[in-house]
Amino acid sequence: MLLPSLAYERPETVEEAVALLRATRNARVLAGGQTLLNALKLRIVHPDVLVDVSRIPSLREIAHEPDGALRIGAAVTYDELAASPLVRAAHPVTAAMGSRLVDRQVRARGTIGGNVCLADPTSNFPPLLVALGARLRVRGARGARETDADGFFLAPYMTALAPGELLDSVLLPALAADQRVGYETLQVGTDSWALARASALVRCNGTIREARVALGCGPVPVRQRAMERALVGRAPTAAAIAAAAALAGEGFDPPGDVHASAAYRTKMAIVMARRAVRAATEES
Amino acid sequence: MPDSVHAIELTVNGEPHEAVVPGRQLLVHFIRDTLGLRGTHIGCDSGNCGACTVIVDGKAVKSCMQLAVQADGRALETVEGLSGPGEEPNDLQAAFTRHHALQCGYCTPGMLMSATALLEQAEELSLDEIRRGLKGNICRCTGYVNIVRAVEDVAARRGLA
Repeated sequence: MLLPSLAYERPETVEEAVALLRATRNARVLAGGQTLLNALKLRIVHPDVLVDVSRIPSLREIAHEPDGALRIGAAVTYDELAASPLVRAAHPVTAAMGSRLVDRQVRARGTIGGNVCLADPTSNFPPLLVALGARLRVRGARGARETDADGFFLAPYMTALAPGELLDSVLLPALAADQRVGYETLQVGTDSWALARASALVRCNGTIREARVALGCGPVPVRQRAMERALVGRAPTAAAIAAAAALAGEGFDPPGDVHASAAYRTKMAIVMARRAVRAATEES
Repeated sequence: MPDSVHAIELTVNGEPHEAVVPGRQLLVHFIRDTLGLRGTHIGCDSGNCGACTVIVDGKAVKSCMQLAVQADGRALETVEGLSGPGEEPNDLQAAFTRHHALQCGYCTPGMLMSATALLEQAEELSLDEIRRGLKGNICRCTGYVNIVRAVEDVAARRGLA
């Protein structure tokens, strides 16, 4: 299908990209295009200008920050994330996620920044980033700012990015020796979209010291504070984790549709939360 | 806003090409209509079926899901590059024939290009990896078993199994 009339720009730096986004009232950022091109074909979006950031060198980098956090450029593709020795060493669950999205063709083009900025409720990365306590570095006309993943996802397909702003990178905090990550998902098919997802970051040294749990596939990823509180101070036994997971589901509010009822999605999210914490507390 | 136009340079099956493309032109339309290479098929036009799969810089991609201008500076390989007119089919094409890995044939160019990239990128390929590796390509005749067998056969012959 023919796309609507538009102008295409390929800036070489973040500064140029931000200037283009600012100068044009109706511009869209193009990275991997694995959602945006379909949205253009379907006339869901009508940008005057596409600003292609997929070749900006700084957005393609993966590197450690001085504080130990892993900086992943927004235009890093899923397959690059999966193959990166830095990501595999520092955040193996994140790397594995990059290898299990959709299919090989999409993984070759789709980007972590696109996944985050689309804020599709069923997307893989948002609940993981919330559980990890990731920060998002945003560039705009007034320079750079950082925002917690926790506060970035405002509603389905709506983020805290302001008009004219560009996601620069995702910052994953370094994992301490006693911190582990779990991610569990109830997918409709292999590497497909999901009915429920849950992610957990747990600090445990025989006793759970700290836990962050986020559910995905509701309108936005949502922290499970009651479950987190119930985990802290407990030994990571199956019974203790199951008892804490019984408190999960707060604020989740998934849709009910032809694929599953809201009640079923909530029940399954609780199961995913329990399994994610189990995965994050099992001895490797 | 008027369409932008862009001069691009790329290689197509090893040959250098220069072209001027509208910013909104999909890569698949550039391949079929501008280059005249009709082996690359349009199936769903929504990134689901994989019939339009080509290889860009060594990676299989769906050519209906990127712009032609985004192929600027890249190496593009289409199904026509697997074996030239009058040449013997390459080993993968021969395996597809041997294993009856095509029925109506519509998905075949995409299957061949996905499998080509999969075989070239892998150091070893299990049956599960072949199946997952071809997940982005739909065969509406549901001839998957023979397609996977053909790729398995090539993987074994290339020492990847």
